[in-house]
Amino acid sequence: MSPTLALQTGEGAAQRVKHAEPDAGGIVPLWREVPSQPRPAQDYYRLALLKEPVWIWSVPAYFYVGGVAGGGAVLAAALHGKTRLRRLAAWCRLLAFLGTTVGPALLTYDLGKMSRFLNMLRVLRPSSPMSLGSWSLAGTGMLATLSLLQGDRSGAVTRYGTALGGLMVAGYTGVLLGNTANPLWRERRLLLPLLFTSSAAASTAGVLQLMPLDKREEKVVQRFGMVGKAGEAACMVAMQRSEGTVPEVAAAARGGKGGVLWTAAKAALVTGILVELLPVRSPVKRKVSGALTTIGANCLRFALLESGKSAAREPQATFNLQRTRMKG
Amino acid sequence: MTTPATGFFTDTSVCIGCKACEVACKQWNQLPADGDFFSGRSYDNTIHLEATTWRHVAFIERQARLSGQATSRPFSWLLMSDVCKHCERAGCLEACPTGAIVRTEFDTVYVQPDVCNGCGYCVVCCPFGVINRREDDGRAWKCTLCYDRQKAGMEPACAKACPTDSITFGKLDDLKEMARARLQELHRRGVTEAWLYGMSERDQPGTEGLHAFFLLLDRPEAYNLPPDPSVPTKGVGGSWGVMALAAAGMAAAAVVAAHSRGGERK
Ligand code: SF4
Ligand code: SF4
Repeated sequence: MSPTLALQTGEGAAQRVKHAEPDAGGIVPLWREVPSQPRPAQDYYRLALLKEPVWIWSVPAYFYVGGVAGGGAVLAAALHGKTRLRRLAAWCRLLAFLGTTVGPALLTYDLGKMSRFLNMLRVLRPSSPMSLGSWSLAGTGMLATLSLLQGDRSGAVTRYGTALGGLMVAGYTGVLLGNTANPLWRERRLLLPLLFTSSAAASTAGVLQLMPLDKREEKVVQRFGMVGKAGEAACMVAMQRSEGTVPEVAAAARGGKGGVLWTAAKAALVTGILVELLPVRSPVKRKVSGALTTIGANCLRFALLESGKSAAREPQATFNLQRTRMKG
Repeated sequence: MTTPATGFFTDTSVCIGCKACEVACKQWNQLPADGDFFSGRSYDNTIHLEATTWRHVAFIERQARLSGQATSRPFSWLLMSDVCKHCERAGCLEACPTGAIVRTEFDTVYVQPDVCNGCGYCVVCCPFGVINRREDDGRAWKCTLCYDRQKAGMEPACAKACPTDSITFGKLDDLKEMARARLQELHRRGVTEAWLYGMSERDQPGTEGLHAFFLLLDRPEAYNLPPDPSVPTKGVGGSWGVMALAAAGMAAAAVVAAHSRGGERK
């Protein structure tokens, strides 16, 4: 609009415009068929029905960091009072503290402005997993700080409070993704919390395995991690199986960047488990296993975000799922 | 609240595709133009609802006749002015962690721009793909059902500008009555494919009805509308249940690992 004619002064006026062209990163794919020809598939020019998740890299990174913190908080509480495992408990408390400090920072980075995270604590909305999660994250952060400062001397309330908060932080992200309109995430709503929780246990163990540990500590970490990894593997298998019903959802999960990341996550997880099962004991083995778990857990979270984007772009994924549900 | 619920009834059978609603909305709400872009999808260069686009007219060139219509070749136009549905159970509202999205005294769904922190959760929770984050400062924007105009007793800009009254604004109860009458009239004239999308809870249990509902002439897919949308919160109880089980599992794993036999034996 020419400024000599009129001025736009409203709050929405200054917005930068998102362009729809494919070469501007927009959502409109290049057109290859004549639009007025009869289309066999019922859709609107194959244009996206849903909006893609707008989250940047820091959100899946937070999913990982939050998981490590959650697992650390839980393990720290379980290790409390075990004199020979004092050092491990301290590591765990440190992980819980770091995770719940770096986590909000990553989330705030996605929001763009520092002060914006505080708006999360403006209300408590039980219908929103993100609201419940933000409160648990903030609460766990405070308790984890207290636990870290008090160390071995921390009281039962701090200890169990941190552990409970940690359980919530580790798992709520799965509920958060399941509680969306995204066809891929929504269909997996019963598996995602399980996946995130077990992967959190595996992630915590993975980080701990990278640290210097004695024989006893190593055993604890290994057991905790193996349970997590087994759960993670089972969930990933179950997810792949459940996709079979709607081909478009499977295609969104398998194809593109998300598919590659998913395969990488699977490969890292399986190799990690195999390395763990080798009948030798060495710090090298432990560190390789820890590194593989860490890589796998990160790939997994980025895979979920990327394939969520592909699923949102594919209208037939939504249509078919809903039509199947209507019939069933 | 004593103020009656208001909404839109969009009768797509009389829409002529003039896009006056799009323009009026942009003008009133001072939304920037989306730039020159040729999509090749019929006359629809707007493509979708966006943070900068709160009304979007869909153009469908269909290779089939409408019942009761005589054309030399099988052909009909389907046009629909799409908008935020102001759902009875709104996915965006129930997901918003900051409380930025509220239900107004008119029972519409409104995003308070000074409270939204740009978390982007509403974007993935809207089953219609309506709301989106602004490109510049990341806050979420969508149709306000002209909350400001309604406050001043005026009808929303799109409904005001619509030359064919395809968009009707009014009290929800009146609109429903009107929609039923219109549907009967069309059916009487032989346009049997006409139907009402999302008018009541019975039509759309997932959202418990829309405050901006539509009269359509084809399947919802043709207009890029979901056939059976549902607020994500319905059925999330199961996820919380599974999470609780998983949490118990993790706690047990931690305790067992910490008590591992080799660990404590002196
Ligand atoms: S259509 Fe989407 S943005 Fe509009 S009220 Fe419903 S859930 Fe919210
Ligand atoms: S103003 Fe009315 S007739 Fe024109 S495009 Fe909008 S809805 Fe259709």
